[in-house]
Amino acid sequence: MTTSINKVFEVEHPIDEVWSSLTDPYKIVNCVPGAELTEQVDENNFKGTVKLKFGPVKAGYDGLITFTERDASAKKMALKGLGVDDKGKGNAEMNMAGTLIEKTPGLTEVSVSMDISITGMLAQFGSRLITDVSNSVLDQFVNNFKALLDGKEFDNTLSAGSMAGSMVKGLFGGNKS
Amino acid sequence: MPVQQCRAWNRLPPNPSLFNINNYQITIMIQCKTSKEISGMGHSMKRKEDGRFLQGKGNYIDDLKLPGMLYMDIVRSPYAYAKIKNIDIEAALKVPGVAAVVTGKDLEKYGLHWMPTLMSDTQMVLPTDTVMYQAQEVAAVIATSRYAARDGREAVRVEYEVMKPVIDAHKALDPDAPVLRTDKPGKKDNHIWHWEAGDKEKTDKVFAEADVVVKEHMHIPRIHVSSIETCGCVADYHKVDNHLTMHMTTQAPHAIRTVIALVAGHVGLTEEKVRVISPDIGGGFGGKVPVYPGYVIAIAVSFLVGKPVKWIEDRSENLQADSFARDYHITAEMAGTKDGKILATRFKVLADHGYTDASANPSKYPVGMFSICTGSYDYQTTYMEADAVYTNKPPGGVAYRCSFRVTEAVHAIERITDRFAFEIKKDPAELRMQNFIKKEDFPWHSPTGWIYDSGDYHAGLQKAMDVVDYYGLRKLQVQKRKEGKLMGIGISTFTEVVGAGPSKDFDILGIKMFDSAEIRVHPTGKAIARFGTKSQGQGHETTYAQIIAEVLGIPAENIQVEEGDTDTAPYGLGTYASRSTPTAGAAAAVAARKLVDKARKIAAYLLEVSEEDLDWEPGKFTVKGAPEKVKTIQEIVFAAYTNHPQGMQAGFEATHYYDPPNLTFPSGAYICVVEIDKETGAIDIKRFVAIDDCGHIINPMIVQGQVHGGLTQGLAPAMYEELLYDEAGNILNGTLMDYLVPTAIESPSWETGHVVTPSPHHPIGAKGVGESPTVGAPPAIANAIVDALSPYGITHMEIPITPFKIWKALHDRGVV
Repeated sequence: MTTSINKVFEVEHPIDEVWSSLTDPYKIVNCVPGAELTEQVDENNFKGTVKLKFGPVKAGYDGLITFTERDASAKKMALKGLGVDDKGKGNAEMNMAGTLIEKTPGLTEVSVSMDISITGMLAQFGSRLITDVSNSVLDQFVNNFKALLDGKEFDNTLSAGSMAGSMVKGLFGGNKS
Repeated sequence: MPVQQCRAWNRLPPNPSLFNINNYQITIMIQCKTSKEISGMGHSMKRKEDGRFLQGKGNYIDDLKLPGMLYMDIVRSPYAYAKIKNIDIEAALKVPGVAAVVTGKDLEKYGLHWMPTLMSDTQMVLPTDTVMYQAQEVAAVIATSRYAARDGREAVRVEYEVMKPVIDAHKALDPDAPVLRTDKPGKKDNHIWHWEAGDKEKTDKVFAEADVVVKEHMHIPRIHVSSIETCGCVADYHKVDNHLTMHMTTQAPHAIRTVIALVAGHVGLTEEKVRVISPDIGGGFGGKVPVYPGYVIAIAVSFLVGKPVKWIEDRSENLQADSFARDYHITAEMAGTKDGKILATRFKVLADHGYTDASANPSKYPVGMFSICTGSYDYQTTYMEADAVYTNKPPGGVAYRCSFRVTEAVHAIERITDRFAFEIKKDPAELRMQNFIKKEDFPWHSPTGWIYDSGDYHAGLQKAMDVVDYYGLRKLQVQKRKEGKLMGIGISTFTEVVGAGPSKDFDILGIKMFDSAEIRVHPTGKAIARFGTKSQGQGHETTYAQIIAEVLGIPAENIQVEEGDTDTAPYGLGTYASRSTPTAGAAAAVAARKLVDKARKIAAYLLEVSEEDLDWEPGKFTVKGAPEKVKTIQEIVFAAYTNHPQGMQAGFEATHYYDPPNLTFPSGAYICVVEIDKETGAIDIKRFVAIDDCGHIINPMIVQGQVHGGLTQGLAPAMYEELLYDEAGNILNGTLMDYLVPTAIESPSWETGHVVTPSPHHPIGAKGVGESPTVGAPPAIANAIVDALSPYGITHMEIPITPFKIWKALHDRGVV
């Protein structure tokens, strides 16, 4: 199943600084919860892993991440991630695009969109959760990215229990935070 | 992505002040010929089987534990369409307790990697190179415990090369669609079969000249039987005497034994070496008719290792992999006059069969009895055609509580009839009354060749209208509409076709669809009766006993009914499609009559009179003019073993194989009343009146239970159930969290009643009732909802009709 998410947020950092972080493979991937780069294949291709867990469903993906666009003048980037479940139980594809706009010097607007397609066990058993989980993952990514720019510490492990818990609270009117 | 539902969204708190609900069965007067002690037909005898069920003492497949038994679990495909590059079993074999992992390549050595389907198509048992649907069996893990088998399953690593699947049936015949069944030499497309009935030329002419023509596209969604008990088996092969006992959740044990012998005869499992035992079954509904790969793998493994092998599906495997039902895309058209006379109908069907045609239809009828789609109406011009296609979805097409595609046919005719009434602004009840086949016109020849045995459609609908206060409700509807409220009344007046079937037309894999009964009465006058059918909760142990009691006068309490063991029961085609009462029930009546004939001879001998001088009433013979001279059936039976006339065979037994002369045609008139919350789309069923005509009733209590269960399973596709797939072939509701089977929470108060027109050709005038409510309920509900929405120009809603669909339809029209 496919889900698409868009996020727009502002950071109080100059556009060039934001751009260099957004297009640095190790920095950007480190902001994705559960993701890790394990090997650089060439300038645009990297190998990595992503671990996801929510409720009883766990998935680990071994994948290839490719930067398909890094246009420094237009401040547009795009990357594609292709992952195969490490137990052969499914696969995932992610296309992410990021655009930067300088609102004022030192204030940058970041637009991020993600299309995620999941096939296999995660889709079979967790389809109703995928949009919510993806949303949570992107929220966590945004927070991590902001922390990275601010030079703060952040935790890129995916906290599965709390994520599922916060979704349940959200569904039933509890406090999401 | 389709929007999923949550349980209990749809139920508003009832507001009985507006609607006068009869929370009890509408009483019917049944004249019983026998006393309560005998409890023949018409008595609401308590179910004999319920003692053990209610005390948790049933004997289901998973209760069976044999010494040395191994357990099997199945590795399933995560993809809808993929090549298998490698199956790595090394890690699985290291899991403590795992004994073996079986793949398609292993079965291929014995020629057991393919099997036939009931429709003579072919199906993989385990794949050797390609998987064709998500959740397809890929390998089997055998272990000493269920837990070890599951752990072993998790450790099997399969490498796939994913291919683009065909999911949408409408795109299956596109020129650029990949050809799925490359295993079939020369197959160049995904087309399975084409079927037609009726007269195309005549129909097209009537349509071209008709004043009024209406047309709707409708999808009868892919649904699942979701019986409480999943499928499973214990295959128990004994090498020493080359004998297989197959304990198995099957609705048709005898047919399964024959199929096993046909498939595995070449490895020595000939039919006398195979015994199939079908124990208590927790619901079948058609889903336990097919042979699933798990059964075959279990047999193969037991055969190879010489130990019993148990396989029990989990809930999601059952929902995701076992045969689905329905999935017909139908274009329905009706032509008529401005004053409401139906002149002709035309139907075009696209049937999505998934990976293989594993329908459970009689061989001659790939589209089942869909051609009953002309319904309860008096017209002679129709044409229908159907095409079936392969897609990358689980195979199936089972007759889910439905006589082979009758549900699809009834939805089409009952929806399009309402559409016609709406078009000419005529009351749908009056339009039906105008067009019904008249009581005196039976037996009635339908334009597609069926001979309806009997019916009184006017009486049925009139009774339903009286019970529900139809015209009162129509007045209330006018008032509610003035207040801006949405209220709808929907009618379904359906004709069913059940009891397959006459041997000249009906067979499955060549075996004719008769059924059988064998009655043995013991010297003390108590009996055991065995049948070729198999109850899955229908109450055969009670109803069959009552049929025999009705004819023979032995109390039903003293008649033990046994089914499901091929070593002891006479051959029969099993229980599905409401066929048990029409076939095996008839066989019981005829066998019992043979015994009455024998009893007469013995009574004449004992009373020293001629046979003509005897009067029979169930349970005893009396001498004409001398009522004090009596011989009870018990005395006569005792004499059959102790003092039988010379020249007569001793004993008191009879067997009959009943080949029905025609099918039976139950009918029903259902009226549903709904209120819909405009802002949320929530649907509240205020009334549901179901008047059934199933001919003579054997046990009114059991019939009422059948109708209640069937109506709830009719509510299911109308408002809740549909197996959803995304474009990659992922199931989106593969657990009961997401696939909503309605429960008591969702069910309205069903009001049930009857009219009785006995089947003239059936020995006891019964017609069968098991599936009528499942067949008749969906269009009544859909018609009620569409009626509620009709002021906004809405003429059709696809089932399941969810609050979201309603809200969206109203929102799109600017209503909310």
